[in-house]
Amino acid sequence: MKTFRTMLKIELKLSLRGMDMFIFAICMPIVVLIIFGIIFGNKPAFEGASYSFLDQSFGAIATIAICAGGVMGLPLVVSDYRNKKILKRFMVTPISPAMILSVQVVIYTLYAIVSLLLLYAAGTAIFGLKLHGPLLNFLGGYLLVMLSMFSIGMMVGGIAPNTKTASVIASALYFPMLIFSGATLPYEIMPAALQRFADILPLTQGIKLLKAASLGLPAGSILMAIVVMIAIAVICIIVSIKFFKWK
Amino acid sequence: MEDVIKVTQLSKSYDGMLAVDNVSLAVRRGMVFGLLGANGAGKSTTIECILGTKKPDSGMVSILGMNPHVDRKRLYEKVGVQFQEANYQDKITVGELCEATQSLYKEAADYVELLKRFEIADKIKSNVNDLSGGQRQRLFIVLALIPNPEVVFLDELTTGLDAKARREVWKIISDLKTKGLSILLTSHFMDEIEALCDCICILKHGQTVFYGTVSEAIAASPYNKFEDAYLWYTDEEEIDDENLSYDA
Repeated sequence: MKTFRTMLKIELKLSLRGMDMFIFAICMPIVVLIIFGIIFGNKPAFEGASYSFLDQSFGAIATIAICAGGVMGLPLVVSDYRNKKILKRFMVTPISPAMILSVQVVIYTLYAIVSLLLLYAAGTAIFGLKLHGPLLNFLGGYLLVMLSMFSIGMMVGGIAPNTKTASVIASALYFPMLIFSGATLPYEIMPAALQRFADILPLTQGIKLLKAASLGLPAGSILMAIVVMIAIAVICIIVSIKFFKWK
Repeated sequence: MEDVIKVTQLSKSYDGMLAVDNVSLAVRRGMVFGLLGANGAGKSTTIECILGTKKPDSGMVSILGMNPHVDRKRLYEKVGVQFQEANYQDKITVGELCEATQSLYKEAADYVELLKRFEIADKIKSNVNDLSGGQRQRLFIVLALIPNPEVVFLDELTTGLDAKARREVWKIISDLKTKGLSILLTSHFMDEIEALCDCICILKHGQTVFYGTVSEAIAASPYNKFEDAYLWYTDEEEIDDENLSYDA
């Protein structure tokens, strides 16, 4: 525990000095929320809907920080440590790969939680945002989406041979998911063909889960999404620890 | 006395080129062992195969009776390593790097004391990037000593240090040795090797060309100064290369 606490404290300080996550995980979701709020105001999601367009989008916007931390921040920091041979120095100490990865996962979890709280506070205070389902369902869904997205990042960071490969893979995951999974561009306004493409992206499934939870929709429609999220998490975490590359 | 490091018939090749060829060595407790050779002679590869950061093609390695691949976590509670190039996070301070390193071990030394002994305690709040070459080198020796190790690996011990700082490091190494610490080091300074090492191994093209004490190395050469003897052991390659090019 002492190792974890100390490493977390120091790595968190280093991450905050870096500023990237402050921009991509904290500021960016707020900006998107404000834009959505200004454009759609309190309009219902569709004719006769009991919830507003913003209520419907909240689950999606809340994943921007998860996406930034999980598939961008996490793989890049781990592969950067490999590139700088920091992992090689760790290799000749008693630290385990699981410890190295979990310290970073917790840091990005903190960013995501801070982002979620800020979004919720800003949404309710400025735009009358409402959560229509039980809070616990939403938080459970949020944790599951986070676990699954972060596990993808752990896997890319854990096994990418160099920084270049890691950043190519991270970009190939980050940008399509940011734009097409519904996190920024609303899924509901996409043409059907684009929706079918978006459905392949794991984050789209995660966002469906969060939308169902935040709007209080029946759970039956999202069973598939839950299974996909859990499967991704299990596979990626096992791969990232089993095939962890020190250098 | 027991061998704290034992290496038997170690070989490692890259793309069919032998980098380390059948090297054996043994370091007893409380001994300073010097691994010598020109750049590219196979010193770093040998050290990395011993540490387990590279996998040897063949041969046996044991440190404190443990296999570095199998017992990594247990072994590295007791072993300190200073690598040739310093590896640390961007924007990290001296104090943070020491604190993070200390947190990795069950029974770590007090790093503030170590920083004082190496006269860099006043730099504790400085960015590691802002240290001079000599200060950074001393910091990395401190990091290698934080685990309270029984064995220390020091790759290019005093490279980048000025004459005074080198002498200070020698004194600290000698003190550690009298306390029973075993040390495997590499260095390009022959005065340092003479002053510190109980036993040396000279590598050339990955092969051992001399193994024994410094005085034995001088006695077996036509020279009476160690530096000349060392060059004599390692320098023949140029003659070989010339012969090869004539043959071609």
